[in-house]
Amino acid sequence: MDLSYKWLKELTGVDWPVEEMGERLTLSGTACEYIRAADAHMDRVVVGEVTDVQPVEGASKIKLATVNLGKTKMDVICGAPNVDVGQTVPVALEGARLAGDMVIKKVKIRGIESSAMICSERELGISDDHSGIMVLEDDARVGVPLAEQLDYNDYIMTFELTPNRADSMSAIGIARDLAALASTKVIKPATDLKESSQKADSKIKVRIEDPVGCPRYAARIIRNVKIGPSPWWMKKKLLMSGVRPISNIVDITNLVMLETGHPLHAFDLERFGSDEVVVRRAADKEKFVTLDGAEHTLSSQVLLITNGKTGVAAGGIMGGLDSEVESSTTDILLEAAYFDPVVIRRGRKELGMVTESSMRFEKGADPNGIPYAINRAASLMQQLCGGEVLAGIVDCYPEEIKPKQISLRPARCNYVLGVHLSEERMKEVLTGLEFRVSGKGTLETEVPTFRPDITREIDLIEEIARIDGYDKIPDATANIGPLFTPIHFEDKFRSDVRRLLTGCGFDEMVNHGLTDSHLAALLNPDLSQVKILNPVSADLDIMRNTLVQTTLNVISHNIAHRNVDLCLFELGKAYQPGNGEDDWCEYQKLSLAVSGNTPHTWRDKPRSYDFSDLAGALSLLGEHFGWGRLNFEPQSNRYFEREISFAIMCGNIMVGIVGKMNRKIAAEFEIKQDVYLAELDLNPLIAISGRLTEYQPLPVYPAAPRDLAVVVDDHVRAGELVETVKEAGGEMAESVEIFDLYRGKQIAAGKKSVAISINYRSKTGNLTAAQVDERQAAVVNKLKEKFKAQIRDK
Amino acid sequence: MSLLDEVTRIKQEALEQIGKADSAERLAEIQVKYLGRKGAITAVLKGLKDLSLDEKKTVGAAANKTKAALEQQIKDAIEAFSAAGEKTGFDPTLPGTRSRVGAIHIVNQVIDDICQIFHGMGFTIARGPDVETDYYNFEALNFAPDHPARDMQDTMFVEGDRLLRTHTTPVQARTLEKQQPPIKIITPGLCFRNEAISSRAHVAFHQVDGFLVDEGVTMADLKGALVAFCKAFFGEKLKLKFRPSFFPFTEPSAEVDISCFLCNGKGCQVCKQSGWLEILGCGMIHPNVLEKAEIDSEKYTGYAFGIGVERPAMLKYRINDIRLFFNNDIRFLRQFG
Ligand SMILES: [Zn+2]
Repeated sequence: MDLSYKWLKELTGVDWPVEEMGERLTLSGTACEYIRAADAHMDRVVVGEVTDVQPVEGASKIKLATVNLGKTKMDVICGAPNVDVGQTVPVALEGARLAGDMVIKKVKIRGIESSAMICSERELGISDDHSGIMVLEDDARVGVPLAEQLDYNDYIMTFELTPNRADSMSAIGIARDLAALASTKVIKPATDLKESSQKADSKIKVRIEDPVGCPRYAARIIRNVKIGPSPWWMKKKLLMSGVRPISNIVDITNLVMLETGHPLHAFDLERFGSDEVVVRRAADKEKFVTLDGAEHTLSSQVLLITNGKTGVAAGGIMGGLDSEVESSTTDILLEAAYFDPVVIRRGRKELGMVTESSMRFEKGADPNGIPYAINRAASLMQQLCGGEVLAGIVDCYPEEIKPKQISLRPARCNYVLGVHLSEERMKEVLTGLEFRVSGKGTLETEVPTFRPDITREIDLIEEIARIDGYDKIPDATANIGPLFTPIHFEDKFRSDVRRLLTGCGFDEMVNHGLTDSHLAALLNPDLSQVKILNPVSADLDIMRNTLVQTTLNVISHNIAHRNVDLCLFELGKAYQPGNGEDDWCEYQKLSLAVSGNTPHTWRDKPRSYDFSDLAGALSLLGEHFGWGRLNFEPQSNRYFEREISFAIMCGNIMVGIVGKMNRKIAAEFEIKQDVYLAELDLNPLIAISGRLTEYQPLPVYPAAPRDLAVVVDDHVRAGELVETVKEAGGEMAESVEIFDLYRGKQIAAGKKSVAISINYRSKTGNLTAAQVDERQAAVVNKLKEKFKAQIRDK
Repeated sequence: MSLLDEVTRIKQEALEQIGKADSAERLAEIQVKYLGRKGAITAVLKGLKDLSLDEKKTVGAAANKTKAALEQQIKDAIEAFSAAGEKTGFDPTLPGTRSRVGAIHIVNQVIDDICQIFHGMGFTIARGPDVETDYYNFEALNFAPDHPARDMQDTMFVEGDRLLRTHTTPVQARTLEKQQPPIKIITPGLCFRNEAISSRAHVAFHQVDGFLVDEGVTMADLKGALVAFCKAFFGEKLKLKFRPSFFPFTEPSAEVDISCFLCNGKGCQVCKQSGWLEILGCGMIHPNVLEKAEIDSEKYTGYAFGIGVERPAMLKYRINDIRLFFNNDIRFLRQFG
């Protein structure tokens, strides 16, 4: 909300400099986001009188105007349609810097030299009107600076209001906080009224059929008004708040809304269509045309002000076209009502519009502020439009909304805030905000109805804290709360996984989980999806049910940006819908993926990433967390290539999948290169993870290493060979490693040579060569027997 | 000084100069200076004839030994120079051999940093579901039934009467239900809002919430804790400003601005010349929230705060596009490795 700085000064008498006023309001909860000089674009702009207007030869759109600037006269080229002799206008002289960074320079158009410009409101930063030049009041003083003429030596303060503070959506509302900060009082504008003898209720009656939606409806009748432009002081206040002046009657309702926060509406009484206001809900499919000309088909969500037959206003939102005030209007029906915030909110959503009025009612207007607001407007209509105000307010208020009573214990206030304020200071703050306070020891507080946000003691405590100043609350330096702060194993687990995998060269991804349902169905047609009812875009319409999908998205994104060598992991969740409260499922997962080539250095030539890079990372994690051996069991999976697709088994629990991406599926993600991918379920793995394993004493007796190269059929798996060697080697075979793999010319086709290194050692004594030879022979025999292995000569 | 001492001194001086010599030319000079026809050692040898027989023996031996030693040293040093420069072609400027270490995602680095500071202050990590119920996301946190945040416009809803949590504060509501005070919890996690994705706004973001409930927790404790955190996280010289604000689940509520760490509060483009950066929201836990969890709001008070993760990272590293966090482009990720 924008407000004039001078207006706030006028309402409080507080004369702090604008920056200080902004800062102190900000620090008390009314955030002043921005301050700008109202006359920022009026430097070197003066009032001139148009004394002559001549056409320019050969140019139909521009004219040559002569302006009298008091001491000098000047010829000015002007393109505005409305320039005319006798007008007083703003003239920007050479060097003036207008809105939009337009600097006035000497120019030559059609051979005519012009070094000044007659300005529109937009060019002066007054409004966004650029339809023609701004025409000043007739009594504008020729030659004086424009800012002085318009009283624009002022600042526009932009306030960002919190949604709870309905009361601060007005000049008086902000002035109230300002006055409390400065320990002074708001100077409310007077409402001097001379009512005529004729009674208003002889002209209009009010009936409320929906007292929930409209608890109070008040009306006044003002007769014989003269519609015309508003005086400048009023236009200025409106313009500085970004409200366009229209005519005196409409401007008055807008001004009083800005001033008091209470939206008003003026009807043309003659065009109102009856002598009774009836407030009811709209019928289903009832038609109504708002004053912006839009036709609406209503439902019972909308509260309708009617003349007993047809709608005249969408209550609290916008007036109707048929009863709008026009230039010929003479008699006014002035409405000041209080509408229920929820009803307004639903109504304006139904109508698809937000207005200055609906915003204020939606946050909560003051039902008891109605008399002041309607009287203030009526007195201005009397004063400025020559209106005759009929006697009395026709006030329908079936059930009075009374102020709340809340007790405040000063000790509690100090306890919560950690301060030592006196009871007197608390009283002073609350009284300053127009709360009525009585009592001692416990402060009995009556909350004014313009503060619907205050509902219990803690709210009063906040009022005291914010006006006294948060900066007065000390920064406690003692640490309080429990001393025992466990680190949950799950968190340590994550950080260990991160440390280990980044140590192996994997980069960590973070995905938000929103993804495309179609691609998800392509990967897992039978897996249920968590569907978003109102997705921001069609490709983010579910929460992922597997990390595989988002991993492929990331690979695809990187490849598209020519990052083709990838080694990625993510710790994240996969989501599944549930049937009830407890079986809603979020699964902790770990995804790993490699694609492209290993790094290329001057020493190491790159090779393709492959399955073993994932197997290596998995075995590293397995060793670290003590999972034991992870086995890969063949298991078909529609998004892996058939021969490289495995279930990851930890004992007999399946803890994940690993494989090579199917080319066709990868192509759907626009990936053409090989991708190896694994996804682990972390919950079962976390459950069996533990770092602490028993210490193994260091060996006492020397080891006897033996190498062995065997030629076996190509289909024999390395794992089987190792297992067999271990079995045959018994306890004596301390470690068994594969150190070479060869296929090629030197051995028969369909065969491979596997080199195995066995480290023999005894825990109880030195091994003799004979003992080792004997055991090695047993190993060899077993391999021959089981795999028809041939022993290769060294 | 005896001649023997003189020999020792010459030797030391010569060795020192050999050590300092930075070229073969310089070494040649040193050779002339000490071993040449008019060199220092030569002079000693020439002077032997004036000595007694005993002295001749000892000094002569020492001088000859020194001469031989220096000759060898100079020769070795000259060879070393030519070997380094010409013979082997050893190149120390080739890139060192190392394996590549991956990068922990910047979001997780920031979360870890925040959590570590709070862990030092006695907070324990708690987590909760991302797909939440209306109850924990809104109702338990004192959001009015018609609060705008509960709109489809602001929140993404999920089939089965759930929603994507809009903050990590629901974990507070869940924890309060399960535990009795004292409770001191920090809750990092993913949050969502119904917003079109652009360089400045995203449908998802991370947040770290924290709260403390105990007897006698005051707003002064809240201020103290956040001052300590901000100094630890952003830098010790920092200034803080607590501004009254509004959140349904805290009362009184505040927003915390820190003096801009890029310009030290002088005003720059990042802080929009204000010298201040809006960094977190906080307040005293609303008694309604405690009461919803059946905690005695007279006996216990508490504070809560929430800090975004992407925003401080964007400020700190001048990241101008929030989408980079979720694109996982390795060129971005690896900058934080
Ligand atoms: Zn700055």
